Amino acid sequence: MKLITAILKPFKLEDVKNALQAAGVTGMTVSEASGFGRQRGHTEVYRGAEYTVDLVPKVRLEVLVDDKDSDSVVDVIVKAASTGSIGDGKVWTTPVDQVIRVRTGERGSEAI
Amino acid sequence: MSTRERRDRSNESDRFLSKLFHDAVRTHCDAVTGKEISLAAVGGYGRGELSPGSDLDILILHNGKISQEKLKAIVNDLLYPLWDKNSVDHSVRTRSETRDAAASDLRVATGLLDIRFIAGNSDLVTAVQADSLDYWRKDAKRNLPALEKSLTERHERAGELAYLLEPDLKEARGGLRDIQALRAISLSGAVQVPLEKISWAESTLNNVREALHTASGRSKDRLLFQEQDKVAKMLDYKDADAMMSDVARAARTVDYLLDYTWHALEHKGKDGLGRIMRKPRVVNVAKNVSALEREIIIDSMTSFDDDPVVGLRAAATAAQLGLPLSLDTCSELSLALNGGQGILANPWPREARELLISLIGAGETMVGIFETLDQEEIIFHWIPEWLSVRSLPQRNALHRHTVDRHMVETAVHAGKLTRKVHRPDLLLFAALFHDIGKGTQEDHSERGVRLIEPIARRVGFDEKDIETLKLLVQHHLLLSSTATRRDLDDPATIQSVVAVIPDANTLELLHALSIADGEATGSAGWSDWKATLVAELVSRVRKAMDGIEVAQQPMLSDAQIALAEKGELRITLEHHSSGYAVEVISPDKPGLLSIVAGVFNISRLDVKSARTKTLGQSAVMYWIVTPEPHAPKVTEAGLHQLIAEALKDSADVEEKLIARAKAYASIPSIPVPDPEVEIFTDAATDATVIEVRSHDRPGLLFRIGAAITQSKIDIRSAIVTTLGAEAIDTLYVTELTGGPLTPERAHQVASHLKHALK
Repeated sequence: MKLITAILKPFKLEDVKNALQAAGVTGMTVSEASGFGRQRGHTEVYRGAEYTVDLVPKVRLEVLVDDKDSDSVVDVIVKAASTGSIGDGKVWTTPVDQVIRVRTGERGSEAI
Repeated sequence: MSTRERRDRSNESDRFLSKLFHDAVRTHCDAVTGKEISLAAVGGYGRGELSPGSDLDILILHNGKISQEKLKAIVNDLLYPLWDKNSVDHSVRTRSETRDAAASDLRVATGLLDIRFIAGNSDLVTAVQADSLDYWRKDAKRNLPALEKSLTERHERAGELAYLLEPDLKEARGGLRDIQALRAISLSGAVQVPLEKISWAESTLNNVREALHTASGRSKDRLLFQEQDKVAKMLDYKDADAMMSDVARAARTVDYLLDYTWHALEHKGKDGLGRIMRKPRVVNVAKNVSALEREIIIDSMTSFDDDPVVGLRAAATAAQLGLPLSLDTCSELSLALNGGQGILANPWPREARELLISLIGAGETMVGIFETLDQEEIIFHWIPEWLSVRSLPQRNALHRHTVDRHMVETAVHAGKLTRKVHRPDLLLFAALFHDIGKGTQEDHSERGVRLIEPIARRVGFDEKDIETLKLLVQHHLLLSSTATRRDLDDPATIQSVVAVIPDANTLELLHALSIADGEATGSAGWSDWKATLVAELVSRVRKAMDGIEVAQQPMLSDAQIALAEKGELRITLEHHSSGYAVEVISPDKPGLLSIVAGVFNISRLDVKSARTKTLGQSAVMYWIVTPEPHAPKVTEAGLHQLIAEALKDSADVEEKLIARAKAYASIPSIPVPDPEVEIFTDAATDATVIEVRSHDRPGLLFRIGAAITQSKIDIRSAIVTTLGAEAIDTLYVTELTGGPLTPERAHQVASHLKHALK
């Protein structure tokens, strides 16, 4: 099993969610996140006062999938999240040892 | 589900217990020992009210002469049959043991206040009853603060009944335990508690609790989502929302009375509980409005018809001073309004609008005042539309408050942002009414636009402001939804906002409203994350717009120009709806603005607005001023003399102003945001524009003028506006030699001004 984590531009969340649902992914976890990559922060002048936006607001999305589905789901996310401009985000996968559904106690792929 | 049913249930229990008690006594005692014991009910059962799941709180009283074995046998005989039927909370005590228990445990002491005889020797119960009341009254000074402390701890634990989605009917703030506390306070005799005001609330909460016990089959008092529909149906409510709305209203009534009672106690307490007090001091704080025992009252001889604005004035003054409104004053006002007296004209006079704004803008203290106006049903006479959102629940995971309270909270948060916008009055007004459209299936923003228009027109805003207010209500969610759901890098996103927001002034209002709305909603609706996104959107949209519009320099009439050319001091005084309109034409000199403002201040005239302009060697000034209560009568000649003297030597004016400032310092005040000074270097070609936004206070304009004079620059024009409790002063300034200030010099002046106003 794999945990797919994606950092996205906030406005792309809807598109990615819809694309994932269309691809048969039924569950996901979404949280507000902020950070920066190569995009970095930038300096803004607002009401005469200069301030640095060093952390850019992003959305963090996590999905648990079976090994065999991992590549295709990553593709779906990348395709839906892409705008082609800087700061589109990142997607990565991590291996997962065990998954348990709390309510039923099911384990492994059954619990996904 | 009614008081009667609960009483029947209690009577039924009385009969049952009575029989058990008599049987037990007959079995174990003779005619003499039978007189040595009795049975009494305490707590809720003592009041004769039993819900299906309630405990039977009983006290078995004896005189200590009965043997332990007999006592044990009687108690066992009494309790065993009850074991499966009810949960019983019992104690077995003598009179002196009861007294000790009451002294060491507040809950026992308050429970005993409701003691009621059931069976046995009634003298024993009567004695304990007298003891309990006696102890409660005599030791009120110690007991009531302890009671308040226990209430505060409970409230922190259980939250507010009126605003929680799944509240505890008994423990939460405004719940049934608070009603018991009020009754206990009333019995202490330390203060009058008008308990009749909460009789509806008490029966409502008890009915819901009883239905909850019946529906859930358990004696839990927490009204969970899963039970709400069932309970509402049992009580013949239209739906769960209607029931929750009633619960919220009941809780607010209780909470309000409790707050009120503590306040009354606290301020009476200063002179010792129950002691004869010194003669209270009445301080007049505004026209027909005074402070008495740290409460705001309307002076007793005031005619509501002659001064229909007095209610709003009392409310605004109370909010701005951070004091509560007197309950008696509110009842009187409510009675007058219900009787058709003191009805405000349509549209409202300007003073009424200003007062409403200063009420809304007072921050935290406004919540209490607004609650009072709601509880006493005064606000509905002013804003009938408020009735449709009163205690309206919102079943939405983001929100924590009912609709009306959410709007009030939004106004509190908006109050902190008044320095960030050029029209604080529009921000505060929009904040208080942004969700007025809620309560139907229709989109609440669209419906809100229809509802805000007549309110804004009645309150007296002009057409341009009404359009802005409509726009703010309609688009109050635009910035947050655009910022989180659309690509900020896409020019089309920025254009979509520019297309509906006409100018930078409206944008900054909408931005402040979004922040206030978000913060009032709670952490689920607003976070740094969202704030950053919204700020980013606003900054990008701002770049696509023209600059902020500032107040324009006044135009002079031919007559004024002619008079100015004469170069003489000339004063014209006319009556105006808010007081006087004063035209001052004077030879120009440095510091003229602060000298004239200073003269008005020591003549006890509040500056409402001013428009001044320099023409050659003269200055033309048009002032609107309002006399303070008890201000001496002003005449043209008197003002002429004062200003002429001050122009020669202003030291005297300064001295008197310092003395007045000291007198003001004794009046309480609420925390307000720091003054803001903004510089516009490109708003005019021949002058630099300085805008000062501050909380209005006596002598403000004098201080601004003095700080400008110290900076050795010249005021060409000044446009002074008061919006509620906020003052906005726009100054067109030049170097003494003429021409605008350099940016560095302008920032120097700004920081000097900011420092001088702190």
